[in-house]
Amino acid sequence: METLILQKDKLPKLIEKLSSSHVLYGPTEENGFSLFKQIKDFKELNLKYLLTRVSPKSLIFKQTETLFKFIPGRKGAVTSSKINEEKSIIFAIRPCDARSFKILDPVFNGDFEDPFYISKRKNTVLIGLTCNSPEKNCFCTSFDDSPGSTENVDILFTDLDDRFYVEVVTEKGKNLIKSIEDIFEKSTKNDEDSKRNIVTNSVESITRKMDLDSLALKLDKMFDHELWHNTAQKCIGCGICTYLCPTCHCFDMQDESTLKLGGRVRIWDSCMYEEYTHHASGHNPRPSRMNRVRNRVYHKFSYFPKNEDISACTGCGRCIDYCPVNIDIIDVIEKVGVIANE
Amino acid sequence: MVDQQLLIDEVKKVVSRDDVKYVIGYKKGTSGFAISPAFAYSTEYADKFIFNPLCKKNLAAYPLLEDKLPLKREEKEDKRKIGIVAKGCDTRALVQIIQEKGLKREDLVIIGIPCSGIIDHKKITAKFPNETAYSTIEEEQGFYKITINGKVHEIAKEELLADFCSSCIAPNPVIYDVLIGEEVEPWNLEEHKNLAVLEEKDVGERWEYWKEHFDRCIRCYACREACPLCYCKECMADLLNPQWIRRSVNLSENTAWNIMRAYHLAGRCVGCGECESVCPVNIPLMELNKEIEKDVKKMFEYSAGMDLEEKPLFGTFRPDDPEEFIM
Amino acid sequence: MTVTETKTELEEFEPNIIGFLCNWCSYAGADLAGTSRIQYPANIKIIKVMCSGRVNPMYVVNALQQGADGVLIGGCHPGDCHYQHGNLLARRRMAILKNLLEFIGIDSRRVRMTWVSAAEGRKFAEVIKEVTEEIKKIGPMKDIQRVNEW
Repeated sequence: METLILQKDKLPKLIEKLSSSHVLYGPTEENGFSLFKQIKDFKELNLKYLLTRVSPKSLIFKQTETLFKFIPGRKGAVTSSKINEEKSIIFAIRPCDARSFKILDPVFNGDFEDPFYISKRKNTVLIGLTCNSPEKNCFCTSFDDSPGSTENVDILFTDLDDRFYVEVVTEKGKNLIKSIEDIFEKSTKNDEDSKRNIVTNSVESITRKMDLDSLALKLDKMFDHELWHNTAQKCIGCGICTYLCPTCHCFDMQDESTLKLGGRVRIWDSCMYEEYTHHASGHNPRPSRMNRVRNRVYHKFSYFPKNEDISACTGCGRCIDYCPVNIDIIDVIEKVGVIANE
Repeated sequence: MVDQQLLIDEVKKVVSRDDVKYVIGYKKGTSGFAISPAFAYSTEYADKFIFNPLCKKNLAAYPLLEDKLPLKREEKEDKRKIGIVAKGCDTRALVQIIQEKGLKREDLVIIGIPCSGIIDHKKITAKFPNETAYSTIEEEQGFYKITINGKVHEIAKEELLADFCSSCIAPNPVIYDVLIGEEVEPWNLEEHKNLAVLEEKDVGERWEYWKEHFDRCIRCYACREACPLCYCKECMADLLNPQWIRRSVNLSENTAWNIMRAYHLAGRCVGCGECESVCPVNIPLMELNKEIEKDVKKMFEYSAGMDLEEKPLFGTFRPDDPEEFIM
Repeated sequence: MTVTETKTELEEFEPNIIGFLCNWCSYAGADLAGTSRIQYPANIKIIKVMCSGRVNPMYVVNALQQGADGVLIGGCHPGDCHYQHGNLLARRRMAILKNLLEFIGIDSRRVRMTWVSAAEGRKFAEVIKEVTEEIKKIGPMKDIQRVNEW
């Protein structure tokens, strides 16, 4: 792995270079929170926040995607949608959010290959940023991840006060850096130690922990437990948890058309809505909020790990932070553990 | 300040009644300043109940959210009452729902709480972003005294008070069976922040303002789900035939959704601020609601949820309703 | 040079106006205007509804989304409603809707309401003229129009 140093005063230069050759997405501040937006200028960038409100999955698995176009009626015809091949960069993505793509990959690039996702994924370089001060509901360490993990990013930046410690992890990252090598400097052993210290401090400051030990097995035994009813009773079914989640990937497909032209679009959907499982027959296999809340937990920690060998959670804590009724996934899993041990 | 012991005692009394199924109230959340809704089926559970200025959630949504699953053979419907801990705005929501025949008054036992304004969670978490727990929070003469890790922080009330509370017309419960403590003095009403500023702008500038907000909407419909008055069995936004609002997320559809959400609450919104406080992308939805509330008050002298006997705004008319705009 | 080319852009703009007219009065009024050969701008596209009280505010918003530059709602005069008071209920709704649209930044002059009786063919033509003139002045409605990206 190649390691470099970028002085902070060179950051505008870097942003300028990257945004001229690529579509560059970075965290921006607006109305008191952070969102990934396309940036052209260094000033738009805001690295103050730990996590963006809506996770960067929205840049690769877009909320609205046109799958194909059609002409309705008797002379109907279908034309496929153009696949976006533009080169892009997600700058300052946190390691946990970067990890979400590892979880989404088997969904969109597994049994079925989704050309839209695959193309964006292939053409996007992930530039990570180490978390210097994790938030109160962070728990990425429970998933063997770390605030300074290089596992799922192409390049990782670490803020060392006056400079960034840059680790170039993948070929993709190397290729990106190659053309702008002159703004970087060589790193020393000292820098590596500083990064290690930062990561150690961050890991120590993460207080919340989820016990994942044989969780799928525990869940198997308690499908009908009253815990689900008790948890779901306060759920209002708002779907914030799933929309902000970096790994939730449920979608709906709809035809939208005028009289002359139409398209089939794919939009995000949420398993927390009653409508989600509502059959055309009128039957709903998940009729109550209990079924839906339970499904969310099971999908993340039982079904998904069984199929793909990875929990569908990155430990970013968004669902805990923004749940209006304080359904705390760590608390739920803790209760599962207590019940299983009884 | 609401006496916690008094509240717990009353909840215990209510929950031990034979004709009460459970009592809905608040308990401390799992982390930070979170508050969790709580359902007490037994007197022991009632000990967990609290009320402090962080108890923002409008619990009036819950009686309508109750899952009514198909009854098993020979099973009888549980027709016992539901107890509910309710602030002023919560009782207004209940009144409005009862007016609309969504609930029956006799199915509820209302434990009224005089409220002197609640804390905006977004404001307090911005102030103490990394606090994992607080021990107490009290209100004293225009200040909130927040104890965190044994350290007392005194913060001026205006700094943390939710914006929509300053224009609250019913700090005291409108209807109740039991009232905890003394009624509070109503405060000087102020118009909702930003309304005057927006009204002064011209149409184009206002569109620029709202465009930016609506563009950001992710259409999670949390505003709808959190609202105690959005309880339609099937929302017009979910209809497929006719499909009023397309599912794709773009400015046009987002605007249509936000107009219709606000419009469907005209003369029904009780100003509890749930929509705005749950919105994950901070759209100032209360500005829309408050503007309509103001218009409704001005044009039809009508306030939602203040009187059980009143007819719904759009279900009635007066011969002399304003009609200057009609050609 | 043809005549159309000399016209300014604003003059060329022919607005699309959707009229929701009640079956019993306004629609009959429009009919009368037609049978009496009264000239009025052809910008209005009429949709007959049974009562102005049947006009869901969503119709209005949806029309604006689908390319209408203005919406006109026509009902019976107060007291004349075939269904007793449908028009008076509509009056309340539209009062609120107009204010809400104005607040959001959509010129409320785009949404108009009128009382036209079955005998007022001339008034109908006048109203259409006025509305068309006004919307020509305001210009096309682009803000919330559907993009139909596909």
